[in-house]
Amino acid sequence: MRNSVALAKITFLEGIRNRSLFGIALFSLFILGLNIAIAGFFMRDIGKVSVDMNMSALTFAGILLIFFVGLNLITKDIDKKTIQLVLSKPISRFEYIFGKYIGIVFFTLFSLTLLLAMSCVTLVVLMHFNADYFFDFSWINYFLAAFFVFVKFALLTAIVIFFSSIATSAFVALICSLSVYIVGVTIEDVIFYLRSEIAIQEKVVSASLERFLDVIAYLIPNFSVFDLTMEAAHGLLITPDRVLWSLLYASVYIALLLLAAAVIFARREFF
Amino acid sequence: MTLRSGLLMIGLLLALLYPLSQSIWGERYRIQSGTPAGYVIPSQYSRVLSLGNRGLLSDLLFLKAVSFFGGRSIAGQKMTAEDWNYLVTSIEVITDLDPYFLDPYFLAEGLLAWDAGLPLKANEILDKGIEHRPDDWRLPFFVGFNLFYFVQDYPAAADYIMRAAQLPGSPDYLQTLAARLAYYGGKSMTALLFLREMIEEADDPLLRKRLAKRLLALEGAVKIEAAVAKYIEAEGQSPKTMAALVDKGYIDALPEDPYGGKWGLLQNGRVFSTSKFADHVIESEPGN
Repeated sequence: MRNSVALAKITFLEGIRNRSLFGIALFSLFILGLNIAIAGFFMRDIGKVSVDMNMSALTFAGILLIFFVGLNLITKDIDKKTIQLVLSKPISRFEYIFGKYIGIVFFTLFSLTLLLAMSCVTLVVLMHFNADYFFDFSWINYFLAAFFVFVKFALLTAIVIFFSSIATSAFVALICSLSVYIVGVTIEDVIFYLRSEIAIQEKVVSASLERFLDVIAYLIPNFSVFDLTMEAAHGLLITPDRVLWSLLYASVYIALLLLAAAVIFARREFF
Repeated sequence: MTLRSGLLMIGLLLALLYPLSQSIWGERYRIQSGTPAGYVIPSQYSRVLSLGNRGLLSDLLFLKAVSFFGGRSIAGQKMTAEDWNYLVTSIEVITDLDPYFLDPYFLAEGLLAWDAGLPLKANEILDKGIEHRPDDWRLPFFVGFNLFYFVQDYPAAADYIMRAAQLPGSPDYLQTLAARLAYYGGKSMTALLFLREMIEEADDPLLRKRLAKRLLALEGAVKIEAAVAKYIEAEGQSPKTMAALVDKGYIDALPEDPYGGKWGLLQNGRVFSTSKFADHVIESEPGN
């Protein structure tokens, strides 16, 4: 375990030293600034619009962080063969996977916390000027929603690690992880639409395709579970049950993916 | 390439870019304002395409719908049936994506009920709002108003106003208004009370302007109705013409209809204007 911690620390430091981090921070600052500019176009629900924009900024930034920095942190070792150097040390392959995962997750947490702090500044500014239009806003919901953005990315990181352990190049790992992410954020709406009365009446898809989609929905994590933006935007009730079940759901997938990655990685040969 | 020639070329290209960008923007404006109406992707697909950013998509679609109507208004172009259809679909999709979003409900009330002459469509959308924001008194108030003002279904209107009156934050007089509505139905005075509240609630400057104009017209109608009532009380019959009210001194002068119409009197004693209080398309009006 000590090995994992040491590796996690190195990965984390390598992540925050990456120059693309500045680009991502600038991009997020731009979106957060845009938030202040755009809020003026709305008549009433300025609070809702700000929460939507801030959460989407965090999400976009998170995706960029994981795919441009996080993915690189794990695949670079394999691509540049430096992994042979690491594995020649007394560190097991599972420790390697786990250490890398923890390092990237902490790196994501660190970056998202900074962005969250900046987003809070924009909210405070907007609230100061439009106090009457933040009627449904709740800080608790806001932080909870931001925390679940992080949970979503902790899971996405596990997916990236999983595909990096199989794929032979960073690009393939990127495409596979991105595809899973896109399916994950859309699957709920697709499934619910197919179960809606209109779709059943019109027989939109064949029975076999529907069964296939059900299998996909079982295998691929439903990312909508971690989307609390609407609850944060309108101050809707978030029950402790929901929080716990969502966390459990993410934990099971993360454990599964890391174990699978470790098993595959242990059998992989690097030349 | 030397630094000087490089900078010179950049300068030249920038100078060339200016007229090009001007003409491109001009062309885009021409294309956009000439486009009949956009196409809105139905909510069951746009939900999926938003890739988990449903709230953000609803905000963007809302901005698009508002700027579409604003663009038409500023250019002085008449909204066609197809344009209205686009707005209706937009508001439906926006409220499907985020049914708690308050602004589109205000837009539905401000535009669909007032300008498009689609009060029932507006009510359908507002009912979705009532379902998701059950504590907001303004939404049932709007539905009640539409039923009263446009549809002239007074008992149903009174029901909605009563519902609004029972919700937190609603103004005290709503109870009285509901009672008055149930009893008197379609008097201009009731409409006046309603309209003043609508103006209080309107944030959008364009809508406020429209409502203020409507209020001015209604105040004129109320003034004439009062004079007619006095006339009937004194003379025992309705005035034959509007001029008779002025001639016999029941009113100093006929107020001007801000919509440019001429005042007339219906058999039931209600005042109407030939303008129907409309700038362009309003199908149903009080007193018709």
